[in-house]
Amino acid sequence: MASNAAVPFWRAAGMTYITYSNICANLVRNCLKEPHKSEALTREKVHFSVSKWADGKPQKPTIRSDTPEE
Amino acid sequence: MAMAALKREGKRFAPLIAPNRINTLRSSLAPSEEQAPFGLRTISTQVVRNRMKSVKSIQKITKAMKMVAASKLRAIQVKAENSRGLWQPFTALLGDTPSVDVKKNVIVTISSDKGLCGGINSTSVKTSKAMHKLNSGPDKENKYVVLGEKAKVQLIRDSRKDIEISITELQKYPLNYTQVSVLADDVLKNVEFDALRIVFNKFHSVVSFMPTIATVLSPEMVEREAEAGGMLGNLDSYEIEGGETKSEILQNLGEFQFSCVMFNAVLENACSEQGARMSAMDSSSRNAGEMLDRLTLSYNRTRQASITTELIEIISGASALTG
Repeated sequence: MASNAAVPFWRAAGMTYITYSNICANLVRNCLKEPHKSEALTREKVHFSVSKWADGKPQKPTIRSDTPEE
Repeated sequence: MAMAALKREGKRFAPLIAPNRINTLRSSLAPSEEQAPFGLRTISTQVVRNRMKSVKSIQKITKAMKMVAASKLRAIQVKAENSRGLWQPFTALLGDTPSVDVKKNVIVTISSDKGLCGGINSTSVKTSKAMHKLNSGPDKENKYVVLGEKAKVQLIRDSRKDIEISITELQKYPLNYTQVSVLADDVLKNVEFDALRIVFNKFHSVVSFMPTIATVLSPEMVEREAEAGGMLGNLDSYEIEGGETKSEILQNLGEFQFSCVMFNAVLENACSEQGARMSAMDSSSRNAGEMLDRLTLSYNRTRQASITTELIEIISGASALTG
């Protein structure tokens, strides 16, 4: 039927389901009240360093830090 | 005449032996244990004493590392056990098919960044290489995604060309789902795959870590396997609500499954790392204690031998003079 046109808005924008659910989770965490809110926000810290490889050589690593929803 | 002079020299030198020990400090790095100005006989205990001091401090350090690893293990074990509930529904729904035959295989190897944790990183790498060999064929492709420094170093040696992405510094902050899911997202966007094999050490108990492989299929593969029957064939008996189609849902589920399985795998590997470090540091402290015992024995023996030698010299010198 409408199997081609029924792509949800976020997938059309290039996000994966994981990114979508992370954004929703962040919104929910921001709705909490104060003591729980800061605790919950500490559970969102992101830090790692990625480097892609080409031909057996690593390229410059990029650090993804503190951007929980990309 | 000369003999008498020599014996007198012996008597005069005897009380100087103790302060002369300071001379031995200068050459304590020499391999032989006997060093002395000409005419003097003494055996140095300084070398043994230095070794004893360093072994004792190593023992203290490894004991402290064991305590630290034990406390970290307690904290992260709770998280790992709670995260097991995330992927179990997926296995119940989609089944776990390690024997699936695919063209593009991506092996995600999870290891630690820090060392001194026993053999777990080597077993992960061995399992990944075995997986690679198992899946090699005429038009099959195997790529690695490496998490952690230790596996990267080992895989660089003979599989440089097959590494796609390497990720390090993962444990700077305590592990949480958001971090792992961003990582999973990165992998999904940059790597093409038909099946993902995640290799990690599953934490069964403080002394037992089993290398495990978890398989996540891409949505197209799931459709293909669904036609082949088995657990996945039952997917059609589920009713789909909302405006999405089955392939849509399978794609969402596939991504989410990857993220959940990665989360659990990273946590279990971290637990295994701390447990392995605990047991490695424990055996290291025990070995240091044994070494210390042996060194103490040899130190006492050397000390007593040198005292006896001095006494013999003094007494024989004295008796030579009086007799």
